[in-house]
Amino acid sequence: MVQGADQPMDTERMVLNFGPQHPSTHGTLRIIMELEGETVIKGTPEIGYLHSGFEKLGEYLDYNQYITITDRMNYLSPLCNNVAYALTAEKLMGLEVSKRTEYIRVLMCELSRIADHILNVGMLAVDLGALTAFLYGFRLREDIYDLFEIATGTRLTTSYTLVGGLMRDIPDKFDEAVIKVLDNVDVVARDIETLLNKNRIWQDRTKDIGIISKEDAISYGLSGPMARASGIDWDIRVQEPYSRYEEFDFDVAIALNGDVFDRYLVRMEEMRQSVKICRQALDKMPAGDVMVDPDLGFSLPPKDEVYNSIEGLIYHFEITMRNRGMTPPIGEAYVATESPNGELGFYIVSDGGRVPYRVRTRPPSLMNYSIFPKLIEGHMLSDAPAIIGSTNVIAGELDR
Amino acid sequence: MLLPKIITKVHDKFPSATLDTTQFAGEDIIHIQGSYNLDVLKLFRDNGFNFLADITAIDNLTLGGFERFAVVYHLLSHETAERVTIKAYVPEDQPELPSAESLWKTADWQEREIYDLFGISFKGHPNLIRIMNPDDFQGHPLRKDYPRLGRKERDDFPVVKRGINKEAAQ
Amino acid sequence: MQPDDIKSNILTTTLESAVNWGRKHSLWPMPFGTACCGIEFMAVLAARTDIARFGAEAIRFSPRQSDLLIVAGRISIKMMPVLIRIYEQMPEPKWVIAMGACASTGGVFDTYSVIQGVDKFIPVDVYVPGCPPRPEGVVESLIKLQKLVETEKFSDYSTTRGK
Repeated sequence: MVQGADQPMDTERMVLNFGPQHPSTHGTLRIIMELEGETVIKGTPEIGYLHSGFEKLGEYLDYNQYITITDRMNYLSPLCNNVAYALTAEKLMGLEVSKRTEYIRVLMCELSRIADHILNVGMLAVDLGALTAFLYGFRLREDIYDLFEIATGTRLTTSYTLVGGLMRDIPDKFDEAVIKVLDNVDVVARDIETLLNKNRIWQDRTKDIGIISKEDAISYGLSGPMARASGIDWDIRVQEPYSRYEEFDFDVAIALNGDVFDRYLVRMEEMRQSVKICRQALDKMPAGDVMVDPDLGFSLPPKDEVYNSIEGLIYHFEITMRNRGMTPPIGEAYVATESPNGELGFYIVSDGGRVPYRVRTRPPSLMNYSIFPKLIEGHMLSDAPAIIGSTNVIAGELDR
Repeated sequence: MLLPKIITKVHDKFPSATLDTTQFAGEDIIHIQGSYNLDVLKLFRDNGFNFLADITAIDNLTLGGFERFAVVYHLLSHETAERVTIKAYVPEDQPELPSAESLWKTADWQEREIYDLFGISFKGHPNLIRIMNPDDFQGHPLRKDYPRLGRKERDDFPVVKRGINKEAAQ
Repeated sequence: MQPDDIKSNILTTTLESAVNWGRKHSLWPMPFGTACCGIEFMAVLAARTDIARFGAEAIRFSPRQSDLLIVAGRISIKMMPVLIRIYEQMPEPKWVIAMGACASTGGVFDTYSVIQGVDKFIPVDVYVPGCPPRPEGVVESLIKLQKLVETEKFSDYSTTRGK
């Protein structure tokens, strides 16, 4: 027997700089790790490498302009951001959107959720050395991109909502295209689970790694799949329903162990529930307009009118000019929505002007990531990618 | 409904803390003195508002308010799904208030963010350093008197030339 | 070996074009993916727009092993020193693609903390428009870059050597 193989190696403490440009940090995270051998004694995350002044920009762009900026916040599921921002602005202005708008928003949000979770699971698998799950998942994601492209005209940065409605209605026969993709979600999910769930390496690398207790989850402000994997029965779609989520029948996925494996399971189950919601939304899709009444002065006139009639053009100017257009009352509103990452909230303060006085995003990634130093303590260095992957940190949202 | 009871409790226990109680779009907003924030937050936490959803700040330079800065706490009760907004006001000449890190760990990073972007410091915070901007950054960008385009920070880097002489060859 | 065999089995070319031919079909990209464009770059790698068809699938996350830097996403003032360091660590010859509006011009983020185009500080060879560009756009930029690589001359390198 090799001498000392059963004893811990005598090593001195070493500081390792992990990132900000490291394949498993998904772009721009940086962690300063203090190691003893391969055991992490202390991990200090350093964030802000993608700080782009979103909140400052919000004070200079009007309510509809800022929707394009929200796309670039959580770029795995931009539509959820669009919807969250539009909901907040509508609450501030006291607008009530049509039932059809709300149903389409739900449909799109849930499609985004599937796309987000599938990529997250795929990336987690890539970081742990299983490329196939990523390739399977990305094929599905491409199909969902196609759906977004059909409805919104673009793949990723959709800017689909407007304050008071949607940019445009969904096209005819959209439901057929969606159902085709939804049928495929179950197949892909099953494929991924067959690959991973009982895989010995996968289990060894994810089970009992990065355990979050219920108390910690609340203290650190965790939400979404991360909180639910720790046994907190809290889903904003159920407890504080917005956009008519109360009319849909779905289950909330909860796990009890709070480790990386459970977070993965919760995400897989949420995808299935999202499929259920999407199907219901398509079945029950009400007819109607997707913009609020034009007389209220919040919606742009149809392009056809703008280009072909003088009244339409004047009206268009009225809405978009610097000193006219929609102005909310003086006040403030906070709306929390259940984004794929957790509680995505927008907080808008208005001074009665055309642009918000202050726009704040409650980024779920920031809270979910802030527990990282506690999770990595005592684990091996190679567990760091697993923990980062399972928190699903999106730098754009984290740093804003 | 937890909220009305707690608001009465706040009035009873800390009569000088509350400046105003308002409502907008169905949200309750409690305006308090900055120095009392820890007491009020603790009262809320112990009475059912167990989740600190968000901390942020507002620079009231042109909006008007009790003081120049307001630190805004959004609390949530997992029990009754109620939300409440608490605004703690801090004066411009001494922008400092107690840290909520001892009540909720999530306050750690968010207070650092406020410190970085607004220049409001938190007494008792374990590690109050910049979080978003580089350490040598001057100023606090989310203050209203800070220009959106910055003060030339974004132009201040060395220019790297091509290693090979492509331009000369053409 | 018969004289006829020699005729059909020997190809004459210049060393320069042979080397360039090799280089252009085996670009090793280093993706500096920071934001949304990074996600679209993943799509470029994935099954549908498989970048391996153009010989650039050997993604290296170490600058020392790669010759193509793809800047995908907005670069903040905190990130810029890192980008400069990474560019300087790459061995010659090296090329840079600025993918998307943010890397090329700052895009919609005209704020204090976003660099208004990485070409202000590091040399860029090909710009890809779009916010984010479609995967096809990235492939197009790669083809453009391959044409550029084709025309490189050895003399270009020698002029600054040792200076």
